[in-house]
Amino acid sequence: MPIEIPTLNVIALAPQIVVVVTALVVMALDISLTDKRVVGYVSLLGLAAAAVVTFALLGGPAQAIQQMAVSDGYALVLNLVFIVTAALAILVALGYLDERELQHGEYYALLLFSTAGMMLMAAATDLIVVFMGLEIMSVALYILAAFNHRQVGSGEAGMKYFILGAFASAFFLYGVALLYGATGSTNLHAIGEWFSPDRGNLGDPLALVGLGLLLIGFAFKVAAVPFQWWTPDVYHGAPTSVTAFMSVGAKAAGFAALVRILMVSFDQAFTLDWQLVLAVLAVLTMTVGNIAALAQKDVKRMLAYSSVAHAGYILVGVVPATMTGVKGVLFYLMAYAFMNIGAFAVIAVLEHRDAIGTALSDYAGLSTRKPFLALAMAVFMFSLTGIPPFVGFWGKLYVFRAAVEANMSWLAVVGVINSAISAFYYLSVVVQMYMRTPTDETAAAPALRLSGPVVVTLALALVATVVLGLWPTPLVNLTALGIFG
Amino acid sequence: MQGIIEYLVSLNLPLLTEGTARFLVLLVVASIVAVVAPASLIILTWLERKIIARIQDRIGPNRAGPFGLLQAVADMIKMFTKEDITPARADRIVYNIAPGLAVFSSVMSFAVIPFAPGFVGTRLNVGLLYIVAVGGLGTLAILMAGWSSNNKYSLLGAFRSVAMLLTYEIPMVMMLVIVAMAAGSMSLADIVDAQRSMWYAVSMPVVFLVFFFAGIAEVGRSPFDLIEAESEIIAGFHTEYSGIKFGMFMIGEYVHMFALSFFSAVLFFGGWHIPFMDVTALPAPWAAIIGLIVLLVKVFFFVFVMMWFRGTLPRFRIDQLLDFGWKFLVPLSLVLLIGVAFVVKLFSPGSSAGIPVPPGPLSGLGIAGEVVGLLVVNLAIAGLAMAVVSALARRSRNKVLRAISAVEPPAAVTAQSKP
Amino acid sequence: MPNFDPSQIPLVSIVFWVMTVFTLGGALGVVTSRNLFHAALYLILSFFGVTGYYVLLSAGFLAMVQLMVYAGAIAILILFAIMFSRRPMAHESQANQQWWLSLLLALALFVVLVVVVGAVNWPVSDAAPAADTVTQLGVALLGSYLIPFEVVAVLLSVAMIGAIFLAREKTEAEE
Repeated sequence: MPIEIPTLNVIALAPQIVVVVTALVVMALDISLTDKRVVGYVSLLGLAAAAVVTFALLGGPAQAIQQMAVSDGYALVLNLVFIVTAALAILVALGYLDERELQHGEYYALLLFSTAGMMLMAAATDLIVVFMGLEIMSVALYILAAFNHRQVGSGEAGMKYFILGAFASAFFLYGVALLYGATGSTNLHAIGEWFSPDRGNLGDPLALVGLGLLLIGFAFKVAAVPFQWWTPDVYHGAPTSVTAFMSVGAKAAGFAALVRILMVSFDQAFTLDWQLVLAVLAVLTMTVGNIAALAQKDVKRMLAYSSVAHAGYILVGVVPATMTGVKGVLFYLMAYAFMNIGAFAVIAVLEHRDAIGTALSDYAGLSTRKPFLALAMAVFMFSLTGIPPFVGFWGKLYVFRAAVEANMSWLAVVGVINSAISAFYYLSVVVQMYMRTPTDETAAAPALRLSGPVVVTLALALVATVVLGLWPTPLVNLTALGIFG
Repeated sequence: MQGIIEYLVSLNLPLLTEGTARFLVLLVVASIVAVVAPASLIILTWLERKIIARIQDRIGPNRAGPFGLLQAVADMIKMFTKEDITPARADRIVYNIAPGLAVFSSVMSFAVIPFAPGFVGTRLNVGLLYIVAVGGLGTLAILMAGWSSNNKYSLLGAFRSVAMLLTYEIPMVMMLVIVAMAAGSMSLADIVDAQRSMWYAVSMPVVFLVFFFAGIAEVGRSPFDLIEAESEIIAGFHTEYSGIKFGMFMIGEYVHMFALSFFSAVLFFGGWHIPFMDVTALPAPWAAIIGLIVLLVKVFFFVFVMMWFRGTLPRFRIDQLLDFGWKFLVPLSLVLLIGVAFVVKLFSPGSSAGIPVPPGPLSGLGIAGEVVGLLVVNLAIAGLAMAVVSALARRSRNKVLRAISAVEPPAAVTAQSKP
Repeated sequence: MPNFDPSQIPLVSIVFWVMTVFTLGGALGVVTSRNLFHAALYLILSFFGVTGYYVLLSAGFLAMVQLMVYAGAIAILILFAIMFSRRPMAHESQANQQWWLSLLLALALFVVLVVVVGAVNWPVSDAAPAADTVTQLGVALLGSYLIPFEVVAVLLSVAMIGAIFLAREKTEAEE
């Protein structure tokens, strides 16, 4: 057996490598620098470099590396989603961590590693690499969730997330093992080849159980019903800057890998056997998320349930397994990154040191105390509901259209009904801010301080939500590049 | 061994097919090893007591038998006849399994040792991994013993030993990796063959020293005998054991030490190879006999060195021990690993474990070049390590000195005299 | 018994069933044992059974790695962690009121898997076991699986950074 030194087409993983190298540089800087905020700005520079590399590759031919990963349009567009998410999350963290004396270099390093893991999941064309990306992302997120571990809630969040996440990873791995046993390969294209109609392997029970277990693993990661139980506690307990990051990033990464696996490997096998199950899951996820969110008195917890509901909306785009659906999902994820992180940025400002100040009543009369903050929050809430002319509306429109095109109009109808339900709780925040007078307690609370980075985050998210809502063409054009290579 | 099997088959006895013959021969050889290894305890304890006595200017055991040779036998009889105590609230099953597991783990490691040319228990191509894997069972035995005794000293002893074993396993495994890299194989017999021209202890002295120190710590002998620091935790994990079960822990320990000596001889001192003479070229029985004798001489040298250490060196403190492991040996072994990998690649003769690979740029210099290269890298790394350590030591000493000189004696006194 | 030939005893299947008893019995012990320490020991027994499977499949390297990594390192660390817990000798039930629910779910999964295992036409390879698995694994890891192999390095450093961060004591500046 001759040893062949493999030739590596490193270009295919260039954005990921840039992010990992930045993380290592951040770790090295952390040792020598006393002002850790500099570390945060260096991380932002690294993300900018990764974005430049991604743009340079975008539109060019798909580059594959050893049949393990590929940088096709799909992966590159998702890279942008992750980079935007990470950059906004770092901006939120710069102020948030300072106030809580949590400013450590490890935060930014772990966040960057996690981002690299997400990007790897989007680019992976082999189940082993998908798993690697999943684990890098998750392990970093476990630590980040427990970053404020001297506070009980944060430690609990990290522990819960870790235990349930490890459980989900085990399901995923079991699914990979069964798929390998059935098809003899972990490569997505090879599995797709194995399922091609002329091979007569459609409906193979072992592979289908394998896919089912994979779906369970992904459902955990994207917080879809019935695997959403961890979401409220973890999102509520984790530091808000982390919640902002993982509510978007982990969800996007989970969908990124799931969509690629369904489209590349399973295609017909999926539509034959699992499509209906996933459709039912989508309905349940939307409904359970929205109804549970209705009952919440805490905004952070409410947004946790709302993120479950949004996983359901995105699933509506995944279920048809068509290119229209894929584009809808990409659009939705990008839109969700801006509006959701924006909303969490507002929460981060209102939250006091001891994790109080996130109750709904704390938002009473915010419009008189901080008009800009209240306006931003209102826009994000409208956008999350899906009210035009904000970007959230277009996201929902595209995923529901994909369902209608695939003759699954009922799914779209359920989605619209759910959006109507969600309006109740999103608008109740707006009502609190604009139509209630501040209670004595909130009036007595320490003055809210808007640090520079947070203002930048809010401005960016606000501009993106409004401008892309009024003029979605650039984003539509971008998602049109999201094709599989 | 093959010869014996063929002879047995040629007898044409019923049931004696090739398979059963092989099985029988292996069974006999395995039993011999399994019995001889613990029996070495008798000679080893006697040796230890005599050597320690000499170092301490005493005579040592001299009553039972000539030169006190039967002292160990007397001890064994005493141990066997003592009452076997199980503490009242102990976990009986685990408590009783632990000593057996301790002996089992150390005896098992003899399975892969190449004793003499042609006499190898098992020609396992993952021999090095096997050593580490079986060694892990010893750790397990200690944990089980410490926990099941339901005694705080036992538990503390088990904690200490496991912390120590895990610490020193890392440099040890890395040194094994280095040996595997240099030899291009993980089979112990192949590693012996690869040292035909030069022992690894000569070309890689630092690697050997790290291995040997980590090995002593793994065995838990002085100066790393924290596990049973009498003055601190009575007898550590086997505080509650008595009689034969205590004896089994002792057997396990001595066999482990014996095995470490074997590994040192086989992995770094060329096994049965001696300079300027090809042992394997001797006629049939002599190759095996001379080879075994050569190996045993080397083994007993290491046994002696370990006893010498015990008689000479004071015991480490637990924090010093862990510091030495994590802050010195682990980084050092990482650097060694990279350095040796670099040299091995540089002088690679164009094939590794029978697979053609691109030859290294300096492969023309042959084996001599590789030996010199390895030696240079080893010494350079050792020098570097010493420089770093002495710089760090100087810095911490200066810190202490500054702290001392900063304190003004009258102020300190007044502070103390306050009620 | 003139026709008795010991070499005909299917030694492999005997070993297989012994290993199966180890693996499954150990696994059962893990979930039923009321004592955490015992549960961890049963886990080691189960790992041993799996090691035996690898040996039967002529995967010596994997067998040793299984023994070294799982029984030798992971299980030892689990035991270590249990011993640090407050009541290492306590005998407590590991179940809560929802045990029947998880039993139902586990049974459902079990039934599904059994049905599938029965229904599948398992591909059988008649190729001889690889002689030198170490070399082949090495070539595969540094050849066709180089990317995952390298990516593991990132994963491990993340885990290490995280563990150190969580376990670190407060520095003097933070006090």
